[in-house]
Formats: sequence, C-alpha cells, structure tokens
Amino acid sequence: MLDYVEVSGEIAPSYLGEADTVWLRALLDAYERHVGHQRRELEEHLQAPLSVACDPRSLRRARLVLDRIWPTEPGVGIGPRRLREELFLAAAEDPDRERVVERVARRLGLRPRVVMDSLFADLPPQRRLAPMPAGLSPWELALRVNQATAQSVLRRSRRVLVELVGNARALVAQARWGGLMAVARPAREGAGLTLEISGPLSLFCRSLVYGRTLAALLPLLTRCDSFLLRADCEVGDRLRRFVLRSTDPVFPAAEPRRFASQVEARFFRDFAKLAPDWDIIREPEPLVADRWLLFPDFALWHRRQRWRRWLLEIVGYWTQDYLRKKMDRLRLARRGDLILAVDRDRRCGPESEQVSRVVSPEEVVGGDRVIWYRRRVDPEAVLRILEGQRPGLPRPR
Amino acid sequence: MRMTFDRGTVLLTPTAAGESPEGWPGVMWDPRVTRWRAPAWRRGELLRRCAQEGLAVEGRVGEASRWRVYPWPLVSLRSYQGAALCAWRLAGRRGIVALPTGSGKTWVALGAMAEQAAPTLCVVPTRVLMHQWWEAISRLYPGPVGLWGDGKRRLYPVTVTTFESAYRHMATWGDRFSLLVVDEAHHFGQSAQDSILQMCAARARLGLTATPPGPGPRAERLHELLGAQVFSTKIEELRGKHLADFQRISLVVDFVPEERRGYDLDYGAFRSFYLPFRRRSPEASWVEFVREASRSDDGRRALAAWRASRRRLGYHRAKAEALRWLLSEHSQRKVLIFTPDNETAYKVASEHLVMPITCDIGRAERARCLEHFRAGRLRRLVSSRVLNEGLDVPDAEVGIIVGGGGSLREYLQRLGRILRPARGKMAVLVELTTRATPESRRFRQREMSLGESLPAVSLRGKAGER
Repeated sequence: MLDYVEVSGEIAPSYLGEADTVWLRALLDAYERHVGHQRRELEEHLQAPLSVACDPRSLRRARLVLDRIWPTEPGVGIGPRRLREELFLAAAEDPDRERVVERVARRLGLRPRVVMDSLFADLPPQRRLAPMPAGLSPWELALRVNQATAQSVLRRSRRVLVELVGNARALVAQARWGGLMAVARPAREGAGLTLEISGPLSLFCRSLVYGRTLAALLPLLTRCDSFLLRADCEVGDRLRRFVLRSTDPVFPAAEPRRFASQVEARFFRDFAKLAPDWDIIREPEPLVADRWLLFPDFALWHRRQRWRRWLLEIVGYWTQDYLRKKMDRLRLARRGDLILAVDRDRRCGPESEQVSRVVSPEEVVGGDRVIWYRRRVDPEAVLRILEGQRPGLPRPR
Repeated sequence: MRMTFDRGTVLLTPTAAGESPEGWPGVMWDPRVTRWRAPAWRRGELLRRCAQEGLAVEGRVGEASRWRVYPWPLVSLRSYQGAALCAWRLAGRRGIVALPTGSGKTWVALGAMAEQAAPTLCVVPTRVLMHQWWEAISRLYPGPVGLWGDGKRRLYPVTVTTFESAYRHMATWGDRFSLLVVDEAHHFGQSAQDSILQMCAARARLGLTATPPGPGPRAERLHELLGAQVFSTKIEELRGKHLADFQRISLVVDFVPEERRGYDLDYGAFRSFYLPFRRRSPEASWVEFVREASRSDDGRRALAAWRASRRRLGYHRAKAEALRWLLSEHSQRKVLIFTPDNETAYKVASEHLVMPITCDIGRAERARCLEHFRAGRLRRLVSSRVLNEGLDVPDAEVGIIVGGGGSLREYLQRLGRILRPARGKMAVLVELTTRATPESRRFRQREMSLGESLPAVSLRGKAGER
C-alpha cells in the first residue's frame, strides 16, 4: 500500500531519511539474529513492536523489501519432497496418524519429530534465513525502500516525462526494449533533453500495462547527471502528478558502471594514457537529430581549450545501410564533430559475402571522420583527427 | 489504406489522396509518430469500414495467414456443448459461453478451434491450467501445440498461455492469431488485464466461464471486448446426467468458550472502528476502508484485530474435530479439503496427514500427487485456492470446505470440483460454518441467492461431539 502526502494535486511519497536509520538498524538486527531460523519464527518475533519506535507503515515497507532481498535456504536433513510422498502415501493405507509417522521415520532412519519438522522445510514459510552475502547498512536499506516506494508509484503511471542532462542511452534502450515509445526533444532551456515515454495503447485508455516497464526505468536514471521526472499516476481512482528529482533519496549505491565492451574499456585506458591534454568522458549527453537520438560513447574535451570538443562512437556490428543512415542523421543534427570508429571485421548483411573485397571507410559512408579498427581502436588515429593532423581534414571548430 | 500492427495497436496510413480514417470508431491521431492509430481489437471493424468506403487495404495486420494449421479431427460434443458452439457461431463467432464447472467448457473451446481451423491463442488464468489445456489440445490436435509461460517459450499456430504472460507479451504477438479463447472470462471487464483483450487483433473470440458477471459495467465491458453471453446452462439442468448428483450439507460448529472469548475480543475491536466508518460512508468499498484505516493508529489496530479474528475463525478446535470425523466417515472415498489460506492448509496437512496442493508446491510434485490421486494411492488433498478454478481433479467425491469460499462464485467453483459424473455417484459437499460469526451470515446470504434450486441440509454440532 502506498504511503504518501498530497500537496496541490501532487503526491509526495514518504521517503525514509537519516532519522529512520535507528529503527532500521533494529530491524536488520532482528533479521540477523534469525539467521539459521525459520522465516515463520521471524514473523512471530516481529508481531511484537521493535525495540525502537517507528511508523508501522514504514516498517511494513521495509519488511517487504527485506523479505525480497534476504536470502533463504531449505532446512537441513532429508529432502522434504521425498518425505511428503512417503508420509502421505503411507497415511492413505493406515488411518492411525502416530503409527504412520513412526513407521515412516523408522524406514528413513529419522526420529518422528524430525519427520514432522522437515515436512515443509522447503516451502517459503519454513525456509531458513541465510546470512546476507554483503552487509546491508541501515542507510542503504532506507534508500532501497525509497526506491521501491517510488517504483510502486510509477507502476500506476501510463506516461512519464523526463528532463535530463547526461546519458540517456540506457533509459531509451530499456524503454524501447519494453515496447514503449520515447519521444525526444531538446530541453527548453540549457543543455539536455526532454523525453516523453509512453506506450502505444496509452493514447486510448488509462492502461497500466506499461507501468511495470516504466517503473523499471527508475534505476537507470542514476546514469544521468541530473533529471526531473514527472508522471501521471492513478492513485486512489484519481490521476495524480508524481515528481521525482535527481536529489531525491531513492538511489542505493549503484554497481560500478561497466563498459559496454572490451574495446571501449581498452580505448578509454589507452587514450587517457596517450593524451593527457584531453579529458575523456564516458556516455555524454545524446544528440537529437529530427526524431532520432544518437548516443556517442565518449566525449573528448581539451583541458585548456574548452571549445575543442569531439564525440566518438565505436560501432561494432554494422551494415552499409546502417552507417549511411547514421551519417544522414548526423547531417540532420548538423554535427561535424562526431568520429565513428568502425570494426572492419564485423560487417553484416548481403555485402559480407564479398569478404575478399577491401572497402575503405570513405567508400562506405563518404565521410572523412571514420576510422577502421580491428580488435582495438587506435588512440593515435583518433588523436590525429583531434589535432587536425589527418591530411585533407579541416581543423575542428 | 495501409494497416500495420504496432505493439498491440494498428497504425493506419492513407495511401491515396482523399483517404482519411478521421472519425472512425476508436481511431485517434498519434502525434508521437504522426500517424493514425487504433487499438488492435478494433481491427475487424476497421477492415469492415475500409470495405464500406471502398478503400483497398495494403499491408497485413498479423502473420496469421502465414501460419499453417494442421487439419483438426472431428470433435464430438455433448448436446449442450454443441448448442453452445452453435450459439457462438450464430453470434458471429464472438461471445461468452457460461457452463457449470465440470461440464466440459474446454470441449466447447476444442470444438470452436476445430471448426475455425485457424491460428488460435488460448489464455488461461494459471500455470497449472495452462499445462492442463496444453494436454487437452495435444490429445486431439495433430500439430505441435505452443506453450508460453512457466519458463516455456514456444509459439505455434495453436498456443496456450497464462493471463500473466499474455499481459506481458500480447504487444509482441497479438497479431498472429485469428481466434482468441479466454478461459475463466469473468476475470476480465474491469481489471488491468483487459489490455490482453485490447492488444489482440483476433476477430473471433470465445470466452468461457462458470460464473458470468451480473448486469453492470463489468458485463458491458466484457460484451464490448469478448462479445455477448451467447449461451448458459445451470447445474440443476445437468445434474444427474452430465454432472454427478450431489448433496450440500452445512455443518454448524462453535468455538469452545475460551476461543469464543478471544474471537469476540478481536472482532469487537475491529467492529468498534469499522461500524462508525460504515455509518459515515455506507457506499465505501473494503479497499477504501483499508486505505482509511491504515492512516491512523486506531485503524491499524482494528485491521490487526480483524486479521487475528480471521485466523481464529479459519481453523479452530471444533473445525479440527469435525474434519477428523468427516475424514473417518469418508475414509474410502476421494476427498478434497478447501481451506481459507495456505497456512491452514499446512496445518490440516500436518494434523491429518493430507497432501497439500498449494502455490508453493512445485509443478512436478503437484502433477505427481494428482497422478497418485487419480490412481487411488492418495485419497485426500487439501488446498486453499489452487483447486478452486478449472483444475481437473479426477474422481473426487467429497468436498469439505473448512473456510473461505464465502462468495457464491468461489462456492460454486468448489462444488464443481466434485461433480465429474460416474455411475451411481452421489457427491457430497460439506461446509463447516462457525455459529454467530461472519461465516454464518455469509452462508445465509449465499443460500438466499441460490434460492430453492439447490437446497442445502443444515446440521449442528459441538466441538468433540459427533
């Protein structure tokens, strides 16, 4: 159940804060003390109030999150499935309960009490709590609870509007993968862009079919430098506005962001070593070209001459048509500062049958800011473009 | 006019000057893609509209025609099943067929599939039912039968899926089928899952249910998305011939004094908050009550007291005694025990050594148990809800309702589980109700709505007394 306050038509979920870490610590202690015990024993223990006072609704939300993430394991002993089969089949032959349990226990070499205790040991209420693999701090738990709260609001939404600065690639990719539509336009003021994410059916009815996918977008917002999300959510039979800002405490410590490929990781390392005068920034903001978004992999920025800024996209699998379309979109975006690094070996499509024919990048896309690579993007080749040393190349703006 | 399927909708693109779908039913301008768009379920209407206006239709919404369906064998139906199929056909191959549980609704669907001989998607509520439908179709249909759900991802011209999987994936394959069969169709009408029906482009639709909704918004919505109720028959019309004859017995039991005191205390605490709320908002729903109650300490205490009272009512000493007696009375017959929740099912399982069939028990183990039950090696099963809907439990003769099942729908579903016909069979459904509790009130209300058609025998007993 949602826990929120409403201010002029806008709902504000009750997020947990620093003050809540005291009772969250007590709750975590209760879970840790029950490691090795059945989950239902923990349930019984938590029927009584915690040693530290807390809001019951917040406690319920925290427990929902903890129950989801806390690992459990079946109890030790004989497999409960086999035990059930033996016992219930034997009970069909003999109406005397004690005699049946005794007989089955003897056959399995167990005590009757162990038989009955292990009967449902693999089912959720009787599974035993395992130790949490990595320690979970109260503050981290608070952030996870807040994120679950925000997601439960988003699950009731049918359309979200995100104004963001910085990387949006993962967000758009996830939206498209989930069958949603992302319409992008440049932000009204300043850098960044505005994304309207909704589903095809949202046009006709208040369908919540996209709610789950919209909620799944939330963790990906951490990859943006800043954002402001607005969503229309159906809460209590009414449509209410929900606003989420990048400063809201809803993001637990994220996993370290990984490179999309080894090639990217290697280029990042090699270029940083080769060109100390240039900053290399991963996943910069996307480019808007008509109705399309382009996602460069790196921004290369001169440390002293800040007007010298280039973008680099590393292309893995490609077809001639794909590269041409990409260059067309770049022209639409009026961007001449994007360098394409194209894998020579990953050409797909019907042309790939002509493997013996060597094709130059210029022949494919007619551009002069395309470099071929095999296994590794040569940082020196990129630097030559940045420094305007490539023959016939105009100096960058 | 060019028509293309796009994630549960149809995109319309005029291909000649003067063509415009503006004002057509369900069609709207989508500024996101600068095209006309309509929900996929309106595809039939759109095609008819194009034909009326003499517009040539380009593109193909769906790949249905690319799929080869193997020729179906002749499906032999009982008289009322054949009548239901005929009514559905006359209604333009759209509509809902209402038949009592156990009367063979699946056969009506098989008949429709054989008659239509077109790509068909069957949507069913649970994974257990999905496997059951898959087996029923596979026994008849000579081609491969697809299965989408419970970890399986096989899409064929005849495929069975669950509501949940259809909800997630209809946007992807909603255009591939010409016939949509919806089992337990009463789940639709006013739920989020209506999107399943909206995103499917199949024109022919067959809904099956034992408990169709009464007149109201839900029935109207179902009429729009699936079609009208085209056929219905009642239990008493099939009783003794196509369904087993049966007796309904209500066994009234009571708490022991100590339990009664605890129950009255809990239920009283709940009522002291609930009754003033009910006076203030006589029209409010239970969900609204819970929402209001969870906002105050008193309300939360009332909810906790209500939960405690429900636990006490679900299974107490008198019910345990009555159950023990009933099991010994019917020791040689196949018995299904229905409980209000899984916790009670496990309690009954441990106390009386009865195999539980719950959502926690895995599919393989469940199938094995049902096989033991079919072969007579197991003669008792206990469940809270898994056995309620559609699951084919072979040859059960006695049903014992320990708790839950207060609503008419759930009661009839449970009754249906023991009605598979057999020579000389007299099925018995015994319901344990606790005196002076909401259980007995609900029982009276339900009996009033059942009226004279299905009279029940009411017996009284005390804890520990036969």
